[in-house]
Amino acid sequence: MSYTKISDKIERVDARTKARGEAMYVCDMTLPNMLYAYMVRSTCPRGKILKIDVPNLPKGYKFITADDIPQKGNNELWMISKDWRAFAKDYVLYVGETIGLLVGPDRTVLKYLRDNIHIEYEPEEPAVTIDDGIASKGGPMFPEKGNNVFCSLHCEKGRPMEEVFREADEIFEETLETGYQEHVHLETNGAIVTMEDGKFVFYASAQCPFYIRKSIAGLLGISTDDIVVRQCTTGGAFGGKEHFPDVLCGPLLVAENVIRKPIKLIFDREEDTQFSVKRHPSKCVYKTALKDGKIIGMDAKVYYNVGAYLSSSFVVLQRGIFHANGVYNIPSTHLVGEGIGTNTFPTCAFRGFGAPQTIFAVETHMDHIAHHLGVDPLEFKKDYIIKQGEETVTNGHIIEEVKLPEMLDVVTKEADYWRKAKEYTPGCGKGIGISMYLHGGAFTGNGEQAIIKAHARLVRTGDRVRIEVGSTEMGQGFQTTLRKIAANTLQLPIENIDYNNPDTSKVVDSGPTAASRSTMIVGKLVERAAEEMKRRWDEGDITTEVEYEHPEGYPWDQSTFRGDAYLGWGWGVACVEVEVDKLTNEVKTVGIWTSHDIGHPIDELIVHGQVNGGIIQSLGYASMEKLENKNGFFRQKRMSDYVIPTSMDFPRQFYHLQENPYPWGPQGAKGMGELVFNGADAAYVDAVERALGTTFNSIPIPPEDIEEALKKNAQ
Amino acid sequence: MEEMMCYIPENLEEALAIMDEKDAIALAGGSDLMVSGANGTGVNPSFSRPVVIITNLPELKGIKRHEDGWTEIGALSTSREIAESELVHPLVRKAASQMGAVALRNSATIGGNIANASPKGDTPQPLILLDAEVTLKSVRGERRMKVDDFILGAKKTQLEKGEIITSVLIPPSNLTHCYYRKIGMRRANAISKLTISIGAEVRDGKVVDFRASSGAAGPKVIRSHSSESILIGKTLSELPEYKEEFLDAWNNAISPRAMPEYRRGATRRMLSFFIDALSSGAEEGIIE
Repeated sequence: MSYTKISDKIERVDARTKARGEAMYVCDMTLPNMLYAYMVRSTCPRGKILKIDVPNLPKGYKFITADDIPQKGNNELWMISKDWRAFAKDYVLYVGETIGLLVGPDRTVLKYLRDNIHIEYEPEEPAVTIDDGIASKGGPMFPEKGNNVFCSLHCEKGRPMEEVFREADEIFEETLETGYQEHVHLETNGAIVTMEDGKFVFYASAQCPFYIRKSIAGLLGISTDDIVVRQCTTGGAFGGKEHFPDVLCGPLLVAENVIRKPIKLIFDREEDTQFSVKRHPSKCVYKTALKDGKIIGMDAKVYYNVGAYLSSSFVVLQRGIFHANGVYNIPSTHLVGEGIGTNTFPTCAFRGFGAPQTIFAVETHMDHIAHHLGVDPLEFKKDYIIKQGEETVTNGHIIEEVKLPEMLDVVTKEADYWRKAKEYTPGCGKGIGISMYLHGGAFTGNGEQAIIKAHARLVRTGDRVRIEVGSTEMGQGFQTTLRKIAANTLQLPIENIDYNNPDTSKVVDSGPTAASRSTMIVGKLVERAAEEMKRRWDEGDITTEVEYEHPEGYPWDQSTFRGDAYLGWGWGVACVEVEVDKLTNEVKTVGIWTSHDIGHPIDELIVHGQVNGGIIQSLGYASMEKLENKNGFFRQKRMSDYVIPTSMDFPRQFYHLQENPYPWGPQGAKGMGELVFNGADAAYVDAVERALGTTFNSIPIPPEDIEEALKKNAQ
Repeated sequence: MEEMMCYIPENLEEALAIMDEKDAIALAGGSDLMVSGANGTGVNPSFSRPVVIITNLPELKGIKRHEDGWTEIGALSTSREIAESELVHPLVRKAASQMGAVALRNSATIGGNIANASPKGDTPQPLILLDAEVTLKSVRGERRMKVDDFILGAKKTQLEKGEIITSVLIPPSNLTHCYYRKIGMRRANAISKLTISIGAEVRDGKVVDFRASSGAAGPKVIRSHSSESILIGKTLSELPEYKEEFLDAWNNAISPRAMPEYRRGATRRMLSFFIDALSSGAEEGIIE
C-alpha cells in the first residue's frame, strides 16, 4: 500500500470545504428552541455601578447577572489566576466589561432591550496608558501595594550592572514602544451552550477546549467533568481564542443554569474589534554600555500594558523578558519586566506571546547603536549572534546549533543586501533593512511536564486510525500536519487517518493549542503513539496512549526563572526593501526575503503559508495597524478604520527554510507558527529609517507618524 | 420597534411618486446605506425613513457624450463602469478606479457617492475640480447645480424631500496638465486619508487656468478660487515667484481636523511638486 510521506506535497484536508464556503462554523449552527444572548457591557472605564435600569422584559426574556451565580459558585474565570470576573458587579474596571447577558428568542427584541438598558455610574479617573499605570493615575489599582503592578520578574547574567556601566566609555539609552494589535481572525468569537444528559455542553470557536472547562466550572461550583466542550471549526484565532472564549462561555454557563435551553452568543465584527483581548502595548527602556565600540552590557526595563485583569499576561511578560536580548549573546545583562494594570480591555495572547515587543525593541536598539557608531547595522549585529552552548539570559544554554550565519548568507545574497546597503545612502528615498529573531518553542522550561502533562491517544479500527487529542485546527493546518505525522509513521495513506474537532468528553488533554507547541510537542506524542501502534500492528484493533516526557539534563526553576527556558528555538532572518514617496511619506515595500530554521518542515506548503502570513502580519503591525485607546475607548472600531494589509500592500516574498533537525520533535520539526511573526517589523523600520535618514522609536509608522518623526528629528 | 418599509419601483416616475409620498430615502448601490443602517447579525437594518430601492431604474443608467462636449453620467453608474469609460475625464476615472475593493466598485454608484457627502468620498473631489453638475429630479420638476454647491458639508446636501440625483454632468475640459493622488490607509480597499486633484491649462507658456481640490481635508471637498487666481494668468517662468503665496493661501483654505500636520504637509508638497513640474516645462497629460 502506498502511504503518505512527510516529503509529499499534499492538499490540506480542510482546503476544499473552506474555500467553497461549505465549512460550518458555530454561527451556522441552530439547535431546536435555541435562544440568543446579547452582552450588556460597561461604558465606563472605571467607576461604581450605581443603578441598572432594565426595561420590562417580555415573557421568555431574561437578564442574567452576577446575582444569578449560585451560592456555591464564585464570580471568577480561572485563566492563570482567578481575577477576571464573569460579570462585573458593584464596580467596573474597563469599557466593555461584561455586566449582564440578555437572553431571549428574538434578536430584534434583544437589541431593543439592550439599547434601552440604562446603567448609572459614579465615574472615577481611569488609567489608560502604561505611563498612567506607572503613575497610578486615579489611585492605585492595588491599594495594598500602592501601585498598578500586576506582575514582575527580572533576569541577570554576567557581572553586576553598576560595575559594567562604570567601565563603559559611553551609555546608549533609548525608549522603544509598540502599540496595540487586534487579531482580526476572520471568524468573530462565538459559542453555544446547551444541556445534554445532565451535562453543560458548549460548541465554541476556540483554541483550547480544555481551558474553557477549567476556567468556568467554578462559576457553578461544579466539576469540569460536568462540562463538555466541543470545538467548532474555527476561522482563525492568533491567540485571540486562547483564553478569551472563557469570557463568553462563563456568562453562558450561568445563563444556562437558569434557563436550560440552547443559547447562542455570537459577536458582531464591531463587538469583536472593540470588546475582545488585544496584543500588549509595550514600553522598553534599553541602556547599553559601550566600550571601544563594543557592547559590554545591556540593561532593559520592559513594561507591558496588561489592562484590567491579569489573564495570561504574566506568562506573556516572562516570554518578553526571555526574548529581550534577541538573538544576541551580550556578556552582562540585567532585564526587568513589569506588567502594568490599566482601565482598558485586558490584553492577552497574540501570535508571538510577548516576544515580538522586546525583539522589536532590541533589534531596533541595535540598529540605532550601529548608526550611532557609523557602521552597517548587520555588520555590527552579526558579531553578537549567540552560538551553541553559550549562556542565555536565564543562565541556561543554547542546546542546538545556531544556523543564523548560514541563513544570513542566503538572505543577503538573494536580496543583494551588501550592495544595496552601501548604494542607498541615508535619506535617498530607498532603503534596505534586515533583522534577526527567534522564538522559544513550546511552554517555558519544564512547563510541558510540570504544568501541562500532555497526552495523546490513537485508536485503530481495521485499517483506519483515529487521533484523539485536544489540539485544534484554527487555520494553521494542524488537521493536516498531525494526520501526516501519523500516516507517515503508520505507513498508511492520510485518508485512513481520522482527526475530528475535539470533544473534551472523547479525547485526552494534549494541552492548549498555543505556544508553537502543537507540531513540536503533540506531533511528537502522536508519532510515539503511532510507533507503538506500528510495533503492535499484529495485535489488531488496539488503542495506544502516551504522555509527555521531558528530556533529562535540562533543568529549569520556575520560581527564579533560571535554567534552560527552551530546548528548541526557531530562528529567523528577514530582509525588507522599501521606497518612500517623499511627497506623501507612503512606503512601498519592493522586496521581502526571509530564512527560517524550524528544524524540519512536516508540510512545506503549510509552512510556506505560515511564513507568508506571519511576515505580512508583522509588516502590518509595523506599518498600518494602529489601534489607539482614548479615555478607555478604542478609537478604531471596525475593519475600515483598523486596517490590515491586503495582497496589494506587500510583494511576493523569497523564502528559505534552513534544515536543522530538532532531536526531540517529530521528524525533526520545531515550533514555527509564532517565529514567523517575530521580526519582520524591525527589518521594515530599519529600511524606512535608512530610506529617510531618520529614527523611529515606536510602531506602527503610518505616513502621518513618519511626518511627525521627520519633523521632530529635523529640530 | 417599527416595521421597515421598502419599495422597489420599476421606473423613474413611480420612484419619484413614492419618494414624494413617503418622504423616502433612495438606496442605489447600498454600499453606504446598508453599513450605516446595520443592526448586526440576524437583525434587519433600520433607516430613519422608508427606503426606495432605485438600483434597477433604467433611466438612471449609462454614460454618454453630448454634442456640446458635456459628459452625462447616469446616477446609477457604478465606479467600475466609470473607471472603464473612455468618455469620462481621467481624473474621475482614476478616483473611481481606486474606490474600495472590486466588489464595492461593482455596486457603489456615483449618485450615491455624491448624496452620501462624505468628505472622504472618492468621486466628488475630482468632480468639484471639473465644475461638474448634478441633475436632481422630483415630482415637482428638475433642478441642476454644481456638485460644489450641492454638497454643503459633511453628510449635508441640498437634496430636498422626494428628490433623487438622476445624473452627473461634466463640462468639457481644456486642462492640459493633471495630477491625482489618493492616500489611503493601505494600497487597496481603503478609505481615503487624503486625496487631491490638480489641473492646469497652459497655453503659449501661460497658465490660463489652474485648479485644485482637496478631499478629506475639511468638512467637504475644498476648492479655493481665490487661491487659484494667484496662479492664473502667470507665465510659467513667473510660477516660482508666486508658488509660496499660493501654497500659503491653499494651506489656509483647508481645515483638516485629524492628522492636521500630515494632511497639510503632504498637500503642500504635492501642490509644490505639480507647480515645479509645470514651471520646468512638463509634457501635457497626467503628471505622475
